[in-house]
Amino acid sequence: MVTTPITAEGLPSVKSSGRVLILLDGSRTSLAALEAAAEIALARNAEVLGVFVEEVNLLRSAGYGFASEVGGSSGLLRPLEVEVLEARMRALAEQARRALEQVMLRRGVAQALRLCRGRVAEEVLGLIGPDDLVVMGRVGWSAIPGCRLGSTAGVLIHQAPGDVLLWSTSPPLARNRVVVLLNHDQGANHRAVRVGAELARRHQQPLTVLIRAEALEDQQVVEDVRAYLKAEGISARVRLLAMTGVASVVRAMAEEGAAQLVVSRKFSLFGGQGADILLTELNLPVTVTA
Amino acid sequence: MALPVALTEDQIYHRCPLDMLDFETTEALENLELPFGQDRMLRALEFGASMQASGFNLFVLGPSGAGKHELVKRFLDTHAAGKAVPSDWCHVFNFQQSDKPEAITLRPGEGRVFKSDMSDLASELKTAIPATFESEEYQARIQELQEEMTRRQQKGLFVIQEEARANNIAMLTTPGGFTFAPMRNGEVIEPEEYKTFSAEEKELVEAKVEDLQKKLQQAIQQVPRLRKEVRERIHELNEEMVQLTLGGPIGELREKWSHVPAVVAYLDAVREDVVEHAEAFQDNENGAPAGLLNRYRVNLLVDNAETRGAPVIYEDLPNHQHLTGQIEHRAHQGNLYTDFTLIRAGSLHRANGGYLILDARRILTQPMAWESLKRILFSNEIRIESLERLYGLATTVSLQPEPIPLNVKVVLLGDRTLYYLLSHYDPDFLDLFKVEADFEDDLERDDDSYLLYARMIATMARSAGVKALDRAAVARLIEHASRLASDQQKLTAHDRVLKDLLSEADHWADQAGSDLIEVGHIQQAIDEREYRASRIRERSMEQIRRGVMMIATEGEQTGQVNGLSVLQIGATRFGQPTRITATARPGKGQVVDIEREAKLGGPIHSKAVMILSRFLANRYAPMGELSLSASLAFEQSYGGVEGDSASVAETCVLLSAITGVPLKQSLAVTGSMNQHGEVQAVGGVNEKIEGFFDVCKQAGGVSGQGALLPASNVEHLMLRKEVCDAVSDGRFVIYPLTHIDQAIELMTGMEAGKPDADGQFPENSFNRRVADRLEEFAKIGRKKESEQENANGGRYGDNADNS
Repeated sequence: MVTTPITAEGLPSVKSSGRVLILLDGSRTSLAALEAAAEIALARNAEVLGVFVEEVNLLRSAGYGFASEVGGSSGLLRPLEVEVLEARMRALAEQARRALEQVMLRRGVAQALRLCRGRVAEEVLGLIGPDDLVVMGRVGWSAIPGCRLGSTAGVLIHQAPGDVLLWSTSPPLARNRVVVLLNHDQGANHRAVRVGAELARRHQQPLTVLIRAEALEDQQVVEDVRAYLKAEGISARVRLLAMTGVASVVRAMAEEGAAQLVVSRKFSLFGGQGADILLTELNLPVTVTA
Repeated sequence: MALPVALTEDQIYHRCPLDMLDFETTEALENLELPFGQDRMLRALEFGASMQASGFNLFVLGPSGAGKHELVKRFLDTHAAGKAVPSDWCHVFNFQQSDKPEAITLRPGEGRVFKSDMSDLASELKTAIPATFESEEYQARIQELQEEMTRRQQKGLFVIQEEARANNIAMLTTPGGFTFAPMRNGEVIEPEEYKTFSAEEKELVEAKVEDLQKKLQQAIQQVPRLRKEVRERIHELNEEMVQLTLGGPIGELREKWSHVPAVVAYLDAVREDVVEHAEAFQDNENGAPAGLLNRYRVNLLVDNAETRGAPVIYEDLPNHQHLTGQIEHRAHQGNLYTDFTLIRAGSLHRANGGYLILDARRILTQPMAWESLKRILFSNEIRIESLERLYGLATTVSLQPEPIPLNVKVVLLGDRTLYYLLSHYDPDFLDLFKVEADFEDDLERDDDSYLLYARMIATMARSAGVKALDRAAVARLIEHASRLASDQQKLTAHDRVLKDLLSEADHWADQAGSDLIEVGHIQQAIDEREYRASRIRERSMEQIRRGVMMIATEGEQTGQVNGLSVLQIGATRFGQPTRITATARPGKGQVVDIEREAKLGGPIHSKAVMILSRFLANRYAPMGELSLSASLAFEQSYGGVEGDSASVAETCVLLSAITGVPLKQSLAVTGSMNQHGEVQAVGGVNEKIEGFFDVCKQAGGVSGQGALLPASNVEHLMLRKEVCDAVSDGRFVIYPLTHIDQAIELMTGMEAGKPDADGQFPENSFNRRVADRLEEFAKIGRKKESEQENANGGRYGDNADNS
């Protein structure tokens, strides 16, 4: 658990002992996330660990004589062979390694690549500690068209011990706010608020804290958050959000002009399918804090 | 024959009576709107300017410097003021064929409004359409559409995924797509283990996998169709939104411009175009592309908002581009590009509905300009084409703006030669320029014209910004105008010379510190002009003074006479005497024109000599043979002789040579003569007489010298004051001649003598001596002939013997 308070000087407040883990699978989204990871690592003075997992289920499936691949875009059918698949995986791993080296070298960030075979989510969970930040694309290669949250991301945002950043390319409209979503009972000095404040500082973007609460009774929370932010020297907009569904949260985000979202996985709407729906609706980088 | 009476001073100089000029200075005179004495030309102008039928364009012909341009401009300005102001013309983008910009005509002054309306509309589009696209409503609807598509895409795949899972089959993603494999507890079964499955189980699994693959294939292949459908629906949505956004502004404009159907049609086309390109307006970073918005701009080609009456345009550089307009190009990063906003109007566009004044010589010297003008006048429409395209040198794609109908009256200004050359050589010319407006060179000088001419001078003085003239100065200028016209009954209409003279006189008046131009300043201006141009004349006089060029101004001499000639160099003319000599001896009736033999004589001179010789033969040997071999020469003339003005002098000198009677060298002679001995008018009499006067003056003073000139030339005399004074004092005499006999009597002092009924001249008369002498020549000639015949006969005999 990160305990360092946010300072007015704007120095990185999250302890640099944690690594930045970047999940690489050779897909376009993972390469985009790589750049983001490098920026974060640079800002946090952290080292980057690239993780490339050869999905064991996939390798197994290629072992069947009848195994075929249906083209993701064309729909064409062609046989799937173990050798070919392995060669392709190796090529992807090599590509990931080169991309990692290139991106990190440019910024002078220390990096390492971990190659492993197994199930992606399990392998990653086995690698990370509570101080580590996992950066990943929302979906891997060849996911179902239009799908905005892959299965690995689904597992990690719920189970990772540290923070998870689901990277996506910035929204096209001129949005520039860092928005933090908070429950009224999560307290003012919450990790999500601190991470949000840091992001706002780093990107020189205004900050909004949206507190999901019943309108009047939780006015105190708003005051607390304001007091906390003021004490920390952060100017931010604090708003109460009615206890409504995902749709109203999404609308509020749009109204705020959110460019990045920080949310705790304990956020009340995050239970069950809520997280999936919320993340599917919001096409922007989301940091899910522990 | 009665001797002619010497001319008096009044006969050789037509004074301007001061009482005809009823003013003190020209300040008191009103401007003359139109020139007087140019009725023919003004009527032609009036007719040509009013005539509507095609081809009735004007050619105003007259000498250069006659003030044609100013007069035509002034006339047309007045004429055009009462006519309707022509329409404005605009070019707008053609949405069907982008390389053929459309032309729209609007009432005068509306062009600007239309341009500004379209500019406002473009600005509005720039903001209103992106605003529409950013609106919550639009975003929500777009999102709905996209979500629907995603849902429909995912639905198919999820169904397959679910079906697979229900059948214990995993649907896995590969780097390039999907694959299926049997699974247990969320994990794919090892292929080795699978081998242990029973055949039925395997068959079931594989059949299911195959089935799923097919379904997946179908689902994936549906995706492009789905996407297309969504694109179409988004486009429809865009159109709908843009239609709604544009409805207001375009509706207002449509109503405003409902009286111009072309504008309404254009506005509809704009709306269609905006809808079609709606997506291009969505770019939030840069707004709509400038190129797109430019298409809705208006190129106001002809703006008649400020025009009063019909336009009168003078094109001072009438080349092809300036006449027909041109399509300009802009250089951008090394490329040249153009669009309809770079179409520039030509003077024909600007003059459309009015008058275009052009200088004929200038347009003829510009490549293709004349051909283009004719083509446009024939077709009655202006088509903008570049010169390089006309020549076929450029094949690059360029704009072809819609031709604009033309209704213009072209007024060409040029000299007469040009007019007659064009009439002769250009078959189109007279079809297109049917009205000739011929400028008078000279104006009538009568009692009515004095004041009008004075007003003309006053107008000229005002327009040239010079001082006013007093009455005497005006009178002197009028007299000088007669001299310039070389006619006592005429005044020059040559605008430029008078203007220049006024300006010079103004300068001398300035120098003299006078507020008015007085007679002395006019005289000074005339004298200074003459002095500046006198170098060659003085060199010629010097040659005579030093005896290099032999001219006698006193005494008598046989076979020698002073002829008078005029030399013209540039704009200056001056006269000088020329010695003409003759010889005569018996011969075969031939008069040798040495000038012609030496190829120094022109055809008119030759003709005059031939007339002379036939006159001699007819008069002195009407029934017999003219036995004469005579020669005529202009002594010390090396530059060629032309004209017949020396015929009288040549006749006198030839007769002197035949008779041996000397001729007075104190008299100079000019005049042409016909076969009956009648003296006919010649040109340049003023210069000729003044030239001889000057020679006499430098040879020891004028006393008793004089000049003989045709009586019909007397009214052309406007001699300078010095000559007039000498004539008044009797020191210089000028005789008007009607017949050659008068010249003979004046030159020889003998009676010429008239033939009696038998054709015999009286005894002791000059003509009798000529006849007798020719008779003697004839006798000698006959004698010689008979001697020669005898001699030839002997020789022939000898020849015969030899043969």
